Amino acid sequence: MTTYLLRRILLLFPTLFGITLLTFLLIRLSPGNAALLKGGGGEGGGRAMTAEVREQMIKLYGLDKPPLVAYADWVGRSLRLDLGNSIVDHRPVAAKIGERLPLTMSLAGSALLISYLVAIPLGVAAALKRGRVVDRTISFVVFVLYSIPTFAAALLLILLVAGGDYLNLLPMYGADSINAPEMGPFAWLWDRVLHMILPVTCLTYASLASISRYARVSMLDALGQDFVRTARAKGLPERLVIFRHALRNALIPIITIFALELPVLIGGAVIIESIFSLPGMGQLMFQSLDSKDEPVIMGITVLAAMVTLLSYLAADILYVVVDPRITYE
Amino acid sequence: MNDTAISHETYAQRIGRHFLADSFARNGLRVVIALFLIAALAPFLANSHAIVRVADGRVTFPIFPSLEPIEWRFLLYVPLAAIVYFLRARFSRRPRLHFLFLIGLIALIEISLAMTHPVNDPTNDRDRPASFKLMPPIPYSPIESGPDQFSPPSWKHLCGTDSTGRDIAARMLHGARTSLSIGFIAQSIALLVGVTLGGLAGYYRGWLDIGVCRFIEIMDCFPPLLLILVAISLFESQNNMFYIMAVIGLTSWTGLARLVRGEFLRLSVQPFTLAAQAVGAGDFRVIVRHLLPNALGPILVAATFGVASAILIESSLSFLGFGMQAPTPSWGDILSDARRYIDFAWWLAFFPGLAILMTIMAYNFVGEGLRDAVDPRLKVK
Repeated sequence: MTTYLLRRILLLFPTLFGITLLTFLLIRLSPGNAALLKGGGGEGGGRAMTAEVREQMIKLYGLDKPPLVAYADWVGRSLRLDLGNSIVDHRPVAAKIGERLPLTMSLAGSALLISYLVAIPLGVAAALKRGRVVDRTISFVVFVLYSIPTFAAALLLILLVAGGDYLNLLPMYGADSINAPEMGPFAWLWDRVLHMILPVTCLTYASLASISRYARVSMLDALGQDFVRTARAKGLPERLVIFRHALRNALIPIITIFALELPVLIGGAVIIESIFSLPGMGQLMFQSLDSKDEPVIMGITVLAAMVTLLSYLAADILYVVVDPRITYE
Repeated sequence: MNDTAISHETYAQRIGRHFLADSFARNGLRVVIALFLIAALAPFLANSHAIVRVADGRVTFPIFPSLEPIEWRFLLYVPLAAIVYFLRARFSRRPRLHFLFLIGLIALIEISLAMTHPVNDPTNDRDRPASFKLMPPIPYSPIESGPDQFSPPSWKHLCGTDSTGRDIAARMLHGARTSLSIGFIAQSIALLVGVTLGGLAGYYRGWLDIGVCRFIEIMDCFPPLLLILVAISLFESQNNMFYIMAVIGLTSWTGLARLVRGEFLRLSVQPFTLAAQAVGAGDFRVIVRHLLPNALGPILVAATFGVASAILIESSLSFLGFGMQAPTPSWGDILSDARRYIDFAWWLAFFPGLAILMTIMAYNFVGEGLRDAVDPRLKVK
């Protein structure tokens, strides 16, 4: 197991290397650079910059170096845990990401938690009533949910319950109300919760759909196993057969797919944040793409890739933890 | 045992029979076909020019000069494909002759398209007097601004109008073309890359396999959309449909590659492959004639789901403002318009949202039906 873990962790590095190199080359090979954009570009923007200043900036940020040399510089700095400074406002990239991260993670985290809490009972109920009206209804509804694009659902939800000419129950945009700084801690928390209901709902339903489909299949699989027949044969009450024997075994594959859902949720959060104007990582990503803020784009890519890689790793480890029959040797 | 019970059904026929027995799959397929017909016939369903117009004793067909080359292609190639399909028995009798004939026909079409230019006639035939005129069901063009801004759905504008008075129903019908063609072509690109890389990795194994697997892993570790957003937003040519298709295709082949690699790993040690190799078949022949046909079922299933997700990605991109730019109509584009006027213009969000939902669902139903038909063991009875 230790050897396996070590090998897996060592394998993270070439993958990270590939991801960052790909991103870096994409940024470098695209026309224009941050200094040009900041200086108003070639179209003579409002804040035209003298050629001299522009040259200085290009030098300062290493934008004149060949891509591979610049990439090597970036790797060298990153290994010393220095992600560099943003070209736009000269603040450290780590700080910029750090202040955005909690919002995105809480968004993705709560969506993941809620979708598990709802999806497993749904999937189990469908499996227990296989082929009956309950199963067919759940399966169909889940299928429809699965096919609704997140942004369309978000727009319709805003339209129906947040502001506008219809119901006006929830706030439409942002993470806090304008007067949030003057609120007490509980009022602030309540305000934040109200602001988060719609984004979390939108993020939840799609992964809810896929998790409950997994749960149904997994539960059906468990119910068909020999140990369930044995449990029934020895006269255990059906409740115990289902919850103690079938469900526990059915949960093993379901738990591990959280690792596959997390990256999807983070990707989804980008869209959700942009619709609801939430100041999270997604918004930062769009801003830095607009201004070609190379260090920030690289920082976000590394972070996102790290989260993905680590959750894949966590899934594999969790697999062994929840099911001692599996070993990696 | 009864010897006469031997089935003469081919593999494809069996899949077709299983597929059509599933009502969800059948209806999904119907919706997909209907969508393709809508996309092909969009100019005749929504156009400000009359199909037939009789005025001053002259009969004119104002709709035809206004067609774009791509619309001519849809119009000409769809029937051509249908004819080839229905005459396929005759076609296979003298393949070389008919193939040359087809190439000649396509060349003729392309050359004549290259020589004609669409007439951009801003006048519409709705209000022009005529002794007889046959208008399309929706008498508006998708890029034609009108005097009624933000009109809610009514008999005049079935799905309402947007901020510049453009008819949403017309934009939706023409947007179907954008969404479907991007979904289809992007997935074809993904199919080409995925099958090639996965197939080579699975067949040759060794270093090639390790390299391809690492590459797949790298591509998979970008959260969905992130790589696409980086690739699209950094390059200027955003309005280019083919660029968007290429980016979506080149970022969504990994699932297919994994699948094909797995199938090839499994199939390449089976007796029939070894037999083919033993009688001296080359690698190319073994791959194309023996391995690929055997892996075709699962590939087709994955590709169908892939089209659905490509359509979803395209509409997300347009919605975020990174996809097709105005005035090209696309469902995501209408939705991104909806975002600005969200407090009252529900029709801007509802209709394109519904269209995307129906398309994705139809493709997913077809995909599920195909999966069950290809491998009946997977079907949870």
